[in-house]
Amino acid sequence: MHELSLVQGLLSQLESLARQHKTSSIRIVRVEIGQFSGIVVDSFQFAFEVLAKESFLMKNAELEIRVPPMQYKCFQCQNVLVVDNEPPAMCSKCQSTLLVPDGGDGVILLQVEMD
Amino acid sequence: MCDACGCDGTSSKVLEINQSLLAANNAMAEKNRIHIESLGAVAINMISSPGSGKTTLLEKTIDVLGEELRIGVIEGDIETERDAERIRAKGVPVVQLTTGGACHLDAALTHRGIHELESQLSGKKLDLLFIENVGNLVCPATFYLGEHRRLVIISVPEGPDKPAKYPRAFIGSHVFIISKTDLMPYFDFSIDYITDDALRLNPELRVMALSSTSGEGFESWISWLRSLCIRTV
Ligand SMILES: Nc1nc2c(ncn2[C@@H]2O[C@H](COP(=O)(O)OP(=O)(O)OP(=O)(O)O)[C@@H](O)[C@H]2O)c(=O)[nH]1
Ligand SMILES: [Mg+2]
Ligand SMILES: [Zn+2]
Repeated sequence: MHELSLVQGLLSQLESLARQHKTSSIRIVRVEIGQFSGIVVDSFQFAFEVLAKESFLMKNAELEIRVPPMQYKCFQCQNVLVVDNEPPAMCSKCQSTLLVPDGGDGVILLQVEMD
Repeated sequence: MCDACGCDGTSSKVLEINQSLLAANNAMAEKNRIHIESLGAVAINMISSPGSGKTTLLEKTIDVLGEELRIGVIEGDIETERDAERIRAKGVPVVQLTTGGACHLDAALTHRGIHELESQLSGKKLDLLFIENVGNLVCPATFYLGEHRRLVIISVPEGPDKPAKYPRAFIGSHVFIISKTDLMPYFDFSIDYITDDALRLNPELRVMALSSTSGEGFESWISWLRSLCIRTV
């Protein structure tokens, strides 16, 4: 349930952005969640819906979550492989089977659309 | 007109942020690291499921190293002072942080813990600071606390499939400890298999297998801790 504390942090960041830009309504919040971030997309979405409802600023806001494909790097030849979800069986260049997750551990606020 | 960006404030506008949601936590954690270094210590963040043997490992480690190194402990739990009481009984400075429901420590809570510990130390220095995180293999892995080394622990009864199921904890760690090896005869558990899986996620992991009950495998753990505390000056 660490998604809840991340969403709480997000909402307070959005509130200060709204104050800065003198807006009273946020329309769309775009967030990227990496597949190795340990963050569950559904839980994040749920926490957002619950908490946003309580906030005047956020009550009409929509959360768009982008989950980029996974990226693995070959430990032998550094070749980068991009896959949707299952890890690749071997490197397409050198056939090594030692493929290491490359990035994808972040959770990033990309864009905010406001009135 | 808006002061921040000069727009007319009527139509909708898109702000490009591109910032980690963990940026505030990580900035606080960096301050923690500097604070910990000012106490002379190297900090180790211990992450595992409930009951994998974190506190027991700390008790045995203090038995072995307590005279030689100055050890301090920050205990994280959802409720109770129990783990801190166990460590206090060993005679080392300890602070209990209770998260009141949250499933992980974060940098802000750890910051409070460091201050409390510092006031217990009343000017004395530390060599090693252990931060025992809340028992949970998922959530703590997201939050950098300012530690120098991160430890992930899996005990033999939990089974060898854990790296594949909980990759984040392995990707972000420096050391992987397989604990309770004295129980190997009773479980279908292969050290080679789990080591291989963990190294696939993170080839830089240092892997150690040990038992706090029998003391098996303790030499490499202890010498690793000693190596962390060797001062270059
Ligand atoms: N057989 C065996 N039991 C162990 C070992 N280490 C710990 N235990 C037992 O495992 C149980 C849990 O140990 P703790 O050290 O409290 O585990 P923990 O990870 O601190 O637990 P939480 O703080 O609640 O997450 C206790 O009953 C310990 O006696 C070991 O090396 N071998
Ligand atoms: Mg404990
Ligand atoms: Zn390759």
